[in-house]
Parts: sequence; C-alpha cells; structure tokens
Amino acid sequence: MSDIRHSLLRRDPLSAAKEVLYHLDISLGSALQAPGGPPALEKATVDLVEEFIFHASRERSGPPKRMSCVQELQLLEIMCSYFQEQSKDAVRQLIFSALFGLQGNQADDCRMAMLGKLVSMGVAVCCVPILECAAAWLQRSHAVCCVGIARVLVDDYCTLVPGSTSTLQQVFSASPRFCCQFITAVTALYDLSSEELTPPPPLLEMVVGWITEDHRLLLLTFLNMPLTSPLPLGCLELTPLLGLLRWSIKAPLAAQRKRKHGLTNGQPEAEKGAGCEELYSKLHLSVLQVFLMLQAHLTEKNLIGRLSVLQVDHVAALVEEVGRLGEELNPLNAANHIQLALDRMAQALQVAMASGALLCTREDLRMLCSRLPHNNLLQLVMSGPVQQPHAPFQPNLYPHIHAPRATPLAHPAHVISPHSFHPAIGFAYRPIR
Amino acid sequence: FFARWFVPCLFAMQTPLCHALPASPQELALEIKAFLTGFDQTQGRKLSVRDHARCAVRLLCTVPACRGAVLEHLREVYDEYVAAFLQDLEVEGDRDGGGVGANLEDVVKEVHAVLSEFVRLNPKAWAPLVSAWAVDLLGHLSSKHAGRRAAPHSSSLNELLQLWMSCTATRCLMDIYSQCLAAMLAWCPDACVDALLDTSVQHSPHFDWVVAHIGSAFPDTIISRVLACGLKDFCAHGMTGSEKPSQQAARASPNPMMAAVDKSNRVPKIGSVVGILGHLASRHSDSIKRELFRMFQDSLSPSAGQTTPGWEVTAHLNRVTVPFLLQLIALSPTLLGAVSFELVDSLRPPLLLQLQCQLQGLPQDEQENLLGLAVHLISQFPAGGARLLHFLADTATPASVIISGPSPSPHDGVRECCDRLLQMLLLHLHKLVYSRLDIDEPCNPSSSLSTPVRVIPFLEELQSHVAELCGETLRLERKRHLWLHQLLCLLSVYGGPTVATEALCQLLTLARNPEELTLASQLYAPLSVSLPGLVPAALDRCVAQVHTQNLSSRELAQLLNNLAAAVHSQEEDAKGPGAGQASMAAQVAAAVPAHLHNFCHLLLHGDHAVSRSAARLLSCSQLPHAASSSHLVQISRAAVAHFFLALRQRGLSGVSDGGEAVSYSMRLLARLAAYSPLALKSVLQQLVEGALHKGNVDLFGGQSQGQGGGITPSAAVILDTGSSLLDINCTFGTTVNFAGSVWSVFHAGEVGKGLKPPSNSLQPDPDRVIQNLQTLLAITIQCCTSAGAGSGANGGNGSSSGTLNGSRHNHGGETLSDGPAPINAEAAKAVAVALVENICPDVANGELAWPPEDHAKTTVERDIYIRRAFEANPVLFHLLRVVAAGRPALCYCSVILRALLATLLAHWEASREPSVLDSPWHRPGVLPPCPPAWARASSFLLSSATSTSSSPHLTPFEVRLLLVGVWEYMRGNTPVPQKFTFSAEKGLFYRDFSRDGDVVRYVAPIHSVLHKNIDELGHLCWRFQN
Repeated sequence: MSDIRHSLLRRDPLSAAKEVLYHLDISLGSALQAPGGPPALEKATVDLVEEFIFHASRERSGPPKRMSCVQELQLLEIMCSYFQEQSKDAVRQLIFSALFGLQGNQADDCRMAMLGKLVSMGVAVCCVPILECAAAWLQRSHAVCCVGIARVLVDDYCTLVPGSTSTLQQVFSASPRFCCQFITAVTALYDLSSEELTPPPPLLEMVVGWITEDHRLLLLTFLNMPLTSPLPLGCLELTPLLGLLRWSIKAPLAAQRKRKHGLTNGQPEAEKGAGCEELYSKLHLSVLQVFLMLQAHLTEKNLIGRLSVLQVDHVAALVEEVGRLGEELNPLNAANHIQLALDRMAQALQVAMASGALLCTREDLRMLCSRLPHNNLLQLVMSGPVQQPHAPFQPNLYPHIHAPRATPLAHPAHVISPHSFHPAIGFAYRPIR
Repeated sequence: FFARWFVPCLFAMQTPLCHALPASPQELALEIKAFLTGFDQTQGRKLSVRDHARCAVRLLCTVPACRGAVLEHLREVYDEYVAAFLQDLEVEGDRDGGGVGANLEDVVKEVHAVLSEFVRLNPKAWAPLVSAWAVDLLGHLSSKHAGRRAAPHSSSLNELLQLWMSCTATRCLMDIYSQCLAAMLAWCPDACVDALLDTSVQHSPHFDWVVAHIGSAFPDTIISRVLACGLKDFCAHGMTGSEKPSQQAARASPNPMMAAVDKSNRVPKIGSVVGILGHLASRHSDSIKRELFRMFQDSLSPSAGQTTPGWEVTAHLNRVTVPFLLQLIALSPTLLGAVSFELVDSLRPPLLLQLQCQLQGLPQDEQENLLGLAVHLISQFPAGGARLLHFLADTATPASVIISGPSPSPHDGVRECCDRLLQMLLLHLHKLVYSRLDIDEPCNPSSSLSTPVRVIPFLEELQSHVAELCGETLRLERKRHLWLHQLLCLLSVYGGPTVATEALCQLLTLARNPEELTLASQLYAPLSVSLPGLVPAALDRCVAQVHTQNLSSRELAQLLNNLAAAVHSQEEDAKGPGAGQASMAAQVAAAVPAHLHNFCHLLLHGDHAVSRSAARLLSCSQLPHAASSSHLVQISRAAVAHFFLALRQRGLSGVSDGGEAVSYSMRLLARLAAYSPLALKSVLQQLVEGALHKGNVDLFGGQSQGQGGGITPSAAVILDTGSSLLDINCTFGTTVNFAGSVWSVFHAGEVGKGLKPPSNSLQPDPDRVIQNLQTLLAITIQCCTSAGAGSGANGGNGSSSGTLNGSRHNHGGETLSDGPAPINAEAAKAVAVALVENICPDVANGELAWPPEDHAKTTVERDIYIRRAFEANPVLFHLLRVVAAGRPALCYCSVILRALLATLLAHWEASREPSVLDSPWHRPGVLPPCPPAWARASSFLLSSATSTSSSPHLTPFEVRLLLVGVWEYMRGNTPVPQKFTFSAEKGLFYRDFSRDGDVVRYVAPIHSVLHKNIDELGHLCWRFQN
C-alpha cells in the first residue's frame, strides 16, 4: 500500500484521486468475488481514500494539495459516470460506503462536503444508482449528517438556483426511496423551532406534491426495513410522519410568530402565508391518511400494538414545543392560530392512537397535554371515548395501550435532535465557496 | 451611463433564456462533460472561450453542484478579459480593438446579469457567495495586473480607479459586489467587511481602489463596520500582543514606521483598518471623526443594561475600546489629525470620571502601556495640541479656592492621572528633543541635510503659541508654571533660535516683577549651551517689536524695566565675587549697548512710565564701545530732551516718582558726557539750548516773552494774523528784515500808550525754580567735570580756588556742594559757544577783540537783545559762571560780555539819578549791578587793579567812569585763549597778567573815584596801590 501511496504522491491531485478510485474498484470488486460475504474495509484503503480523495491533512505531509473546484467537479463527474456504469449493485454499495462511510475522524467534513455535491449532481443528472446508494447511506448514517446532506440539496435546488426545483422534483420518479429519506431528513432539519428552520415554500410545495401524489412514499423505508435488524444509533427515524406532523401542527404558530417579528422589526412581510396555509392543511390531511394506511399495513403484518411507529417521548417533545410556542405568542392575538394548532394536534393524536401508530394511554396523554391551553377537541380526545356507538375501530384493539413494552425499534434513551451537537461527528455544513 | 442602460436590457433578455432551458438530465450530463473537457461532443469541436463561458453560465443556472467550478472558471474568463483589455490599451492605435475583449464583453455582461439576478432574488443565499467571489477576484485581478504597462502606479488612486472602472469586467464585479454588500449590510455587516479587510490586507496597495470605491459608496456603514471589525479583532487578539511594539515605538525607537509595519503584521486587521480609513479620510474625514468619537463616547457611557444578555461582552468591548482607539490613531497620522483638534471638547468631567474608572480596572502594566501610548500620541498631535495642553494643565492643577476655572474641579484621581500624564509627556518630549539633538550633532553639516530632522508635531504646533505659553507661565500658578516652563525650555530647544528668541523676548516683555523675570533667566540657563547668541537675538527681536509698535506702552515699560533690572543685577553681580559671565544678566548687559540708539527715542515716549523705564535702562547700561557719532548725537538729543521733560514732570503734582526719573536722566547724561568729547559737546550744547528753549524757560524762572525778540515784529504779526504770504510780499518793505541795522525800530511801546506792559506770566514756585536751577547746574557741572576726569587732561584733584567757591556763595545763595573737580576747559568752551550761539542773534562783530567803546553804537539792537535775554533767563548768569570757572572759556563769550557792558554803559550814561541806589536797575534779581565786577571775580580777565566792588555810594557817572575803564582795559588787552598757560601742577589754566604791561593808564580813573569817595571806599585803596 505504501508503494501506491508514494506513487500517488507524485501525481497531481485529480489523477491521484482517479487512481485511488480505480484501485478501490479493483480491490473491492475482486474481494466481492471471493467467498465469505462482504469484506471488511482495510485500514490502508480508507487512509488512501482520505488522503487522496478527501485530502484530509496528514500531519507529516504538510499542507495538502487541494483540488481546485474544477478538478473537484471532474472527480465528481468521474464518480457519477462510474456509478452509472457499474452494473453490480453490491459493488456500488460497497464502494459508496467505502468512500462516504463516516469514520468519525476529521476527514468526515470533506467527505460530507463531497457527498453533498455528489448527491446534488446526481439529482441534476438524474443518476439513479447514486440516489439509491445515497438513500441507503441516509438510512445508516447519523441524523446530523443526513440533515447536512438535506440542507445541501435544499440550498442548491430550493433557495440558490431559482427555478431548479423541478430538477429535484423528478427525484420522486427516479428514486422514491431516496425521496422518502430526503423527506425524513428535511423534516428533521426544519423543525420550525426558529425562523431559519422554517421550510422554504418551494420545498414545502414539492414535499406536499410528492405526498399527495403517492401516500405510500412516506412509508417506503418503513416497509422495506427488515424489522429484525436494529437501527444504527442516532440515525433518522424510519418515517417522516412525526416530522410532517410537527410541520402541520406548528405551522400556524410559526407563521404567527414570524408575523409578530416582522411587525417588531418594522418590515411588513409579504402575505404569502395563505398559500402555505393551504399546503400545510393539505399536508395534514395526507399525514392523517397515511396513518390510516399504516394501520392497514400494521394489521397486515400483525404488528398492531407491538410497534410504536411514533415514539411517545418524541410526541411528548412535540407537545411541549407547541405549548411553549403558544405561550410565546400573545394568546389574545393568536387565539385562532393556537386553536388551529391544537385542533390539528388533537386530530393527529386521536388518529395515531386509533391507528396504532402511537402507543399511549389516555392517562399519559392527559398528563402530557395538561399544560396546553384549552381546546375542545383536545379535551374530547383526552377524555377518551366514553361510548363509541359508531367507533370505527374496535375498542379491544386498545389493550396494548396499557402495556407498552420496549420495542426493538425504540431507543428512548437516544432522542437526538439533529441540531444538537454530537462530539463524535463534528459535522458542520458550510456553503461552498 | 451606457452600461447602466445596457445591463437591464441584457438582463431582461437573458433571464428567461437562462431559466427556460430544457434541461433533461442527459443534456445536463453532456453539458457538464463539455464544460469539463472544453470539447463539444455533439458537434465534435472544441469550445471557444466564449462558448465555454456560455456553457459555464448555463451550468450555473441549472446544476447547483457546479457552482464552485463555474465561478472558478469565470475567474479565468474575467482574467482573460482584463488582460485583453489592458493589452488593447497598450497597443491602442496599432489595431482596431476588436479582439478577444470585445468577444468576451457580452459574456461578462451575461454573467453579471445572471449573478445580479440571483442576488436580487435571493440575497441571503447568494450575496455572501458572490461577494466573496467578487472581492477575491477583484483582489486577484488588480494585483495580478498591477505591473502592466497600462496600469498606473498603485499610489495614484484616482487613475487606478478610473482605469478599473472603465474596464467592463472589473466594473461589473464592482457593481455586483456593491449589490451584494448593500444586501448583506442589513443582516451580516461584519462578515462582509471582514472579507473586505482580509482581501485588502492580502493585496495591499493594489486593492485600495476597491476599498476606496466601496467606502465612498457606503461611507458611514463601511467606516463604522470597519471600526467595529477592528475592535472585535483587537479584542480577540488581546491587547498584550499589540501593545508592546507600539510601546517600543512610543519609546525611543529610531524608526517608528518600522515598528508600525512590524505591528501591523502581528495584528493584521488593525493595519488594514488603518489603511482603509486612511483612504476614506480624504473625503469622509468628518464621518470618521464622528464615528471615532461615537465609539469613544459609547464605550464610556455608563452601561445601562446589565440585565441584557450580552452585557459582559459589551463591557469587555468597552474596556478594550479606548486602547483600541489609541492604537488605531497611533498607526495613522491622518486619523490622529482628524481626531486631535476636537478631542478636548469631548473630555468633559463626567466622561473623565468614567474613563478613569474604566482604566483603573486594567492591570498595572497595561495602564502603563496606555499612558505611554497616549504620551506618544500627544507628542504627535498635529493640531489642537495647545488646547490639549491647556486642558491637561487645567485638569492637573490642584483644586484650589484661588483658581476657579470654568469647569468644576475634577475628581482627585483624574487630576493625578493628568498630572502623571503631563509629567510623562514632558519627559517624553525631553527625550525626543534631546535625542534629536544627539542625532543631529555628530553629523557633518553636509550629512545633516540628508538625514531628515525628526519632527515632533506637538511641538511644531505649540511653536505658534509661544506667546500664550509665556503668558500662562508668568502667572506663576503652583505647579502649572513649572510644567509650562519646562515645556517652554523644550520648545525652545526644539524650535531652535527663532522659538527660543521669541520665548525669551516674550518673557522679558511680560514679566512684571523680579520673580517673574527670574523665569526668563531660568529659561535661558539650559538654552545657553545649545543656542549661542540667544540673548542678542532676543534683544534684536525686542527692538524689532519696539519699532513695529506692537507692544502696548505697559508692555514696553515692562520690557525696558526688565532689561534695566537685568543690567543692573549684572552690575551688582559683577561687583560680587564669582560673577558668572554666562548668566542672562551678563548677556543682556553685553547686548543692550548695541541697541541704545534704538531705545533712545523711547525716552520721548508719550507715556511717562515708558520714558522713565527707558531712562533707567539707558542710564544703567554701558554705552557701546564704538558708537557712531550720529547715534551719539541722537542719544544725547533724546537724553537732554528727556531731562527737561523729567524736570517738568517732577514739578507736576501727581507724578510720584518724578525725582527718580530726573536722577535716571542725570545719570544718563553724566554717562554720556563721560563717554567722549563729542558726546560731551553735544550734551552740553543741547542742555544750553534746552535751558533757553522757549518751552523750558519757565522751569528756571525765566520769561518766555523775551524770546519773542528773535522774530521780527512784522513776522510776528503775520504769524498772529495768519494772512497769506502773497499779501505780505506785495506789501512794500515788509519782506526785508532790518533787525540789527540802523533802520530797525525799537518797540518799547506805542505813542500815547506808554511802554509795553511787561508780560507778567505767572511765576512758578520759586522753590521749584531753585531746585530746577540746581539740578541743571549740577548736571552741567557734573558733565563738565566728568569730562575732565574722563579725558584725563585734568586728571588730578585740582585745587579749587577759593575765589571760585566764594563767588558761588556770594551769588544767588545756591550751594553747590559737589566735588572739587575743576571744570574742564573744553567743556566750558562748549558751553560758552553754545551760549553765544543761542543768545547772540547775529555773528557780525562777534570777534574776540574788543573794539573802541564808541563802536558799540553800531550794535545797539543786538546788545539790547542780549541784555533782554539775560533779564528773561536768570539761568544765563549761572551758566556764564560755569563758563567762567572753566578758564579760558569765557574768552569766547566776549560778545556777550561786550553787549552787557555796552548796555550798562548806556544805562549809566543816561542815568540822572543822584545815586546808583536810586536806579531801577539796581534792583537785585533783575540784573546784577556790576557784571564786570562779577566777571573780574570769577575770572582773571580783568586785572585785580581794575576790579572794584560796586558800591551803592557811587553816582551813576562814577560808575560809568569805572566801566569805561574796564572797557578800555579790555580793548588794550584783548582776552584771547592764547594768553593762558596750562599749569601742570594745578591742572588749570592761568594767565600771567604781568605781561599786560602798564596798567596805570586804566587805574587812574579808579584812583580818582576812590579819592572822591575816600570816606566810603577807603578800605579798597590798598588794592590799587601798586
């Protein structure tokens, strides 16, 4: 390996990177041929990749030779066409993870930046293999990194280049799996906790468009996921459901907050909230419908009561956020919006519980929502069905509510906000220069 | 203009094209390939630069991931365009400029349009990106092409600006950058200014035009942001790192510029802050100044919100602000200049308190550093230094009940600080000034021209305030005058002779008492080493001021008094042991004589204080060794005139120190007379003339009307009526002056109206008259005797003749008790000549030899005139006596004596009274009854044989007989000086009468008169026996 390294050191950055890529292809391809399952990556290979593709500085080699942007683009183009032309899915996955699998070292920054560009380019040229690989990567990687990738895409296609949303839009048809992961990541990114973290209208429109077109999109990852395999620590949720709920529930409050800030800052915000309102409302409906669809799936797989698709503590966090946001706003001025938010929440809770996506008792719910302002619907939901003359769901479907147990998918101890700092993965996205 | 109009057009045309691209993924992939390889596969040909750029722009619009690469590629496009542009400029005229530049121009504009729309649509996302790119590219372009032939030198900012703004590429970049900046300033001003600063540092001189352009587009923002950035950076780097080099600079570092460069490397931001502000200072210095002061005030304003979350940070920033500002100003003379003038206005007591509180929080060594820096800065103040000094001194002066300044007394701590600051400032200036000298001194005169003299702006400015400084110093307020005095010293050393001269001159002029005058000598003491010839120069300056009449009479008097005091003290010092030649007094004493003639006209100054001071000065200073005669005459004329003025002043009530002035004047005259024969003659002549002057006669009991006789009556009438000269000339017989001729008419009165009434002008106080007479005679005699002593002719203590003293006691009761020194013959002659000239209206028959007695009839009018003069001016007799004492000077007064004798003869001849006693002429005080007797007594002109004392018992006829005898004797023995011989042992001239031959012929009438009145005159007979 050191021979290769020495020979590479003499070359210019681009050709060295190409060489590493070639080397990777040869060695992994041949290793995959060999029996004994997927081979583990050698440390030396990882080092080579880091040094010559991501240019992580080796302490002994002084200032690393950086590629220029054009060279980088060339490299990306080479990668793109490589993945496009590589017919074997396994090799593709292996090489992708060899390149972009997070190692927890300082090269991760470059890795993430490069990955962001690669995915962005993949979206542009509609390179399905890359999108698929990226979808897999998004499933495995830590939420912070996924959020970073999502941010790159959103920046690129929704904010920076006007009119390029359509390019991203076609991801839906190219790779629904990636699309699903992307939505999850985006909902994790934009949690409406501040004005910057409000989804940009083009993004919202696009997401709502996708969902209304095909509800199953949201459940794609969840359905494809083998239930037995444990999720990696800190990764994205399986479904974007909770995130989308957060959007639709908090949206009225966030809009009101924005209006308020706009007033205090003296800048009358252009009234484009009306369109968004409609979108959020549409979104809400879609999510509720997905819950219903989910019930069918759960029933089909006989998972009702055994798998909590929505984590109770995540929901609790959401409830708390809503409560705080409501307090922040002047209750007199924003009464309508608060009521709307609470209405939506009540609906969502009711439907989620009823559909078995949320495993929670009424007592817990009452305790959870005790701080919230009064809302008739919520009151109704909390008090529970006194009598269900025409209840759509059988009350005997509820027993599991009273006996929640640890599911293999639940990691209540690791509720990690994608925005919280994680020392192991110091990823901070910077816009390219 | 064209570009501005054109860009929107292009924009409108370009935007839809950019967005409406049918972008299938495959096409995009091809596009990317084409962009990367520069080769169009669909058409199978290489892309031109232009198409390549177009392709890049398309990618920019469609594939976000290519953004970085596209921008990087565009850099090259711009670069190429600029290169072509410059080349076109260079070979302008050789070919029509349609080359690459024109090809690329539309691409460049296209790029600009696209980017500008991006920025417009989404400033938040694009502005940071584009601005960073643009500013970096601008820096790159301007430094890369700086060396081109077409590019002007980086120092000429305006040409640079013109060049780059005429280039489409850079102008577009500039436009887009301005657009970005305008967008970004709203929400992240720090970042963009940071980027600007960084780039500015990187491409230091070549990038200046960008900063200048941006700065003038957003002056206020840029200035405040630049300052804020600098402050933040300064805060982050800490003051310790940056403070030390500046400290070195403040201490005596040989080259402050080097230190500044050194420092700017260490703290990069502050260097570029200084640079940028320096650029903007030319046009926006007001804003900069305002901003600096705002920062200063804000940092000191009491922190209102300790509850606000960031208050700790702001407090820290506030603490650092003052050091930062000091540092900043230290690096830029322009900023220093902008601030310095108004600094003092902003330092109000409450602010000072705040400042002190804040600075007390700093560690000790930082405080020291700050102080040092402040001192260094003050020494560099280009303007406002005087005010600052005033302020410092005011604040540092201990509060006292006596001094009540306009501002309330500051806190004690503040005062101590100021005190300290002031002392350090003085110390620092001291070092600067003297180290400057040290540098200068070893150099040869030739090389000193090449080494630039270090300028200390603070002192430069103060040079024009020397007068105020002197004035304040002389107020002698506690510590203050010590500081100021020290400063004056430094200033004088710094400014060289001119300043030192002015300072000394001012001190000499303004000092009001000996204490204050010591300040002048204290100032001189340290300067005397480095500045030779200071005192003469100062005196020159004083004299010049006197001539230009800049000084009020009070100041003039002070100046003269001070000079006199200095000279006087020097005289006293010289008497004592160990008299220092170097002292200022000695120098002054040495220098004053050269200017005496300049001061002498001040003797006649209208203000008595001035004239008295001048007299004092002149009286105590030595006369110059080689004074020209014209100066001497000038001085003596002025001195004598002042003498009479002083006499008159003494007579006036209300002038307390008239006597003093007289004594000064007398001393001056005596000194003058002793100086040289010429001066003596001049003085005596002036004295006599003055004594007889119409305006002065009343001082000595004379009557001015007697002088009117000098003018012909007709002329007097004419003068009175003031009729025209033509009328007079037309009147026959009036134009000829018949005075003294046989046609002249005696105006004794008019027929029918009796004699002319004697004009009884009011008689002055007799005591005063006597006093004046005494003074005049004293000074006359002093002059005469001192001249004898001075010339050495009559060196010894000549024995006084008893007759001389006796006669003095006989007449007028005056008691001159001056020394026994004999009257100098030359002096007496001068007096005699002056008398003759002044009394005698014409010189006809003015020879020494006596004519026959009858001959006197031809000179009747003149004789009468002379007699009247004697009647009118009693002082003449006294003067005549002085003359007589100086043998043989009386010979020269023959004319006068003859006239007097002739009038007496005529009188007694015409007298019909039985006895002399009855004659009205015998009244004492009008005319001494027997002048020849008096003449005999005081001179040996007449032999003792013919002398006889007048007796009241004689008849007029007998008196006439006697007088005729005297005349005859005189005619027989003509009194000429040649008959006198000098007796060496007595030091006097004597006449040997034995050689006169037979005197019996003249004595006979005397004998007969004696015989006739033997009963009464018998006691006299023995005298005529031989």
